[in-house]
This record gives sequence, structure tokens and C-alpha cells, in this order.
Amino acid sequence: MQPKKVLVVDDSKLIHKMFEVMLRSYSLVHAMDGREGLERLHEHLDIDLILLDINMPSMNGFEFLEEVKRSEAFDKVPVIIVSTEGKDQDTVRGLQAGAAAYIKKPFHNEEILQLIERLPPVASD
Amino acid sequence: MAKERHRVASDLSVEELVAELQSVIDKAGVLIHEVQGRSSAESSNVEHGVGGVSGDIDQLRSRLAEAETDLQETTDRMVEVEHQRGRLMGLYVATCELHETLDLEEVKRTVGEIAIDLLGADRFALLIRRGESDGYEVAVSRRTEEVADGLFAGPEYTGGDPMVDEALVDGVLRTATEEGSNALAVVPLTIKGTTMGALVILKLLEHKPSLTSEDRDLLDLLAAHAASALFAAQLFVATDRKLRTLEDLVEVVRGG
Repeated sequence: MQPKKVLVVDDSKLIHKMFEVMLRSYSLVHAMDGREGLERLHEHLDIDLILLDINMPSMNGFEFLEEVKRSEAFDKVPVIIVSTEGKDQDTVRGLQAGAAAYIKKPFHNEEILQLIERLPPVASD
Repeated sequence: MAKERHRVASDLSVEELVAELQSVIDKAGVLIHEVQGRSSAESSNVEHGVGGVSGDIDQLRSRLAEAETDLQETTDRMVEVEHQRGRLMGLYVATCELHETLDLEEVKRTVGEIAIDLLGADRFALLIRRGESDGYEVAVSRRTEEVADGLFAGPEYTGGDPMVDEALVDGVLRTATEEGSNALAVVPLTIKGTTMGALVILKLLEHKPSLTSEDRDLLDLLAAHAASALFAAQLFVATDRKLRTLEDLVEVVRGG
């Protein structure tokens, strides 16, 4: 089976490294903020999943998510928000904007791995 | 013939008839007893068989319960192993990131990322000793302006928090709050017996109630590795500066 391609959008290099070690069987694409995330998304049209931070320079996670969900090409790609922002309103905002799940940092690896395994495959039109 | 029978019957006395009847009744009693005996034996055999099957079922139930307990223990262990794997992975990544570069700013940023992303610190300050002076540079900080005493809000920390001051002197990691201090934990960064700074955790993220034993491992790692990574980066900066000065001098001499 072709490994899943995951776009990681986070301004923390440490988190990119964590996901690299954690998701060894996946192909990872990296972006340090929302704007770069959109660029990577247009370069890699076969992205299966997006792991998204909220607090980032240039374009934050919510803005990025809105852009993704507005786009017909990417609106079906599941987005998991992984953020230090732990307030209920942030979680609600993220889920209402179309995120598949909201995970708070610091996270346990198994939380993310189990979530990814349970995600339904992206429907191809 | 009928007359003969009548005659025989009439010849038998009433007593003989009673005796004969009694004999028949006795034989019937013996037969009933035999039949009852057989029935009882067969019933006992059946009961014995049922008892045996029932014993097997109990044994199977007991083995099933044992198997279920074993399965639960294995599942719990797997969850624990997975959890420990994740914890070790965090420590591994943190160590790799700290030692990956000799760029001082990059090392400082990594310490900050470990504090936020792995420890869950909402407010913290990384203090680094300024050369030979007594002051400490607030090299990296997050939301320290929200702390009432304002000790870590500026570019320099000159003392004032008893828990931090003590840790900077004795180099001992502290994870319990002390009176008069706003710090939750102070991680002294010590190398070759000299404390070159400290990571001061002032507040955790709202969804993180307290520091755990796993966080303690991470704090220990920071105490050991952040200090050496920062020291190596500082040395590199100093050496690089000297090298550039020497190169400039050589250029001047050659030019002259």
C-alpha cells in the first residue's frame, strides 16, 4: 500500500522532528506557517492528511483551515489541529471550521496515531 | 370343562385363596423394588454424568476468566509500552534537537520549544549568565509580562525570586513551589559544576494541571543537555569571532 502523505504545518522545528520519528511509515511534507502550508498543498495534490498548529506567524492555523475548506480541491482532506491553545472556544472554532479533531499539546503519541488510523480514506472524485 | 373349573374353585378354601393372593402381592412388591432399584441406579449414573459435565464447565469458565485476565494484562502492558515508547521518543527528539546545531539562537529556541510543546509551559523564562557579571540574560521567554512581580519581563534578570536565586547558586533542580516565588519549577543549567543559567517554569498551560513524573525526566534531560548544548554553541560563537578577527588581521598584514 502507498504510504499516506501528511502535511505538517507548525512553526516548531521540534514538532516537525517529533512527527518525523512518530510517522515513519508516512511520507511527510513540512511547512512552518499557514502561507507556506498552502504553497506545499498546491505542490502536493495527493496530501491525505494535514496536522495543523494554530499559533503561527504569517498565517495562523484557523486562517489556513478556512482557506483549505474553501478550496474544492482540498476541502475533503482531513485536518487534525494540534495546538497549545486549550480553551473550549478554540476547540469549538476549529471543529466548526471543519477540523476532523482537535488535540492539545503536549500530546501522547498514541492519541495521534490512533486518530490517524481511524480516519476514513479521502474520497477521490 | 366349566363344571371342572367351578369344582376346583369351589374345592379351594378362602384361606388358600388369600394365601395365593398374598404370594402374588409379595412377588409384585419384589418386582416393584427391583424396578425402583434399577431406576435409582440409572438416575444416579445420569446425575453423576451431569455432575462431571458441570465440573468441566466450571473448569472451562475458570480458564476463560484466567485467559481474559491475561488478555487484559497484555493489553494494559501494550498500552504502557506504547506510552513509554512515546515518552522516550520525546526525550530522544529533544536531545537530538538540542545537539543538532551550534547556532546559539537555534539552541535557545529549541529549549523554548521543549518547554512549550513537550512540558506544556505557558509562562517561562530561559536565563543565561552574562559573561563574568552577576546578571542573567532573559534569552527566551513566553508571557512573562503577565507575571505580577515582573522579574522576568525585561531583558535581564538580576535576582529577586528566592527559588530561582537558590537554584542558580546551588545548581539543584526544584519542582516544588516555595513561598515568595512565582516559579513552579527551576531547572539549573549546569556544566562542569558551574551553573550557566536556568529554565524557570512560571505557569503551565490551562489544560495541563501539574508536572508529572514523566515531566521530571524531561527536566533532568534539560538540566544535563541544554547546558552542554548552550555551552558548545557559546564556545563556537566565541571561537568563530576570534577566527574572524585573526583572519581580518592576516588580511590587514598582507595588505599592508
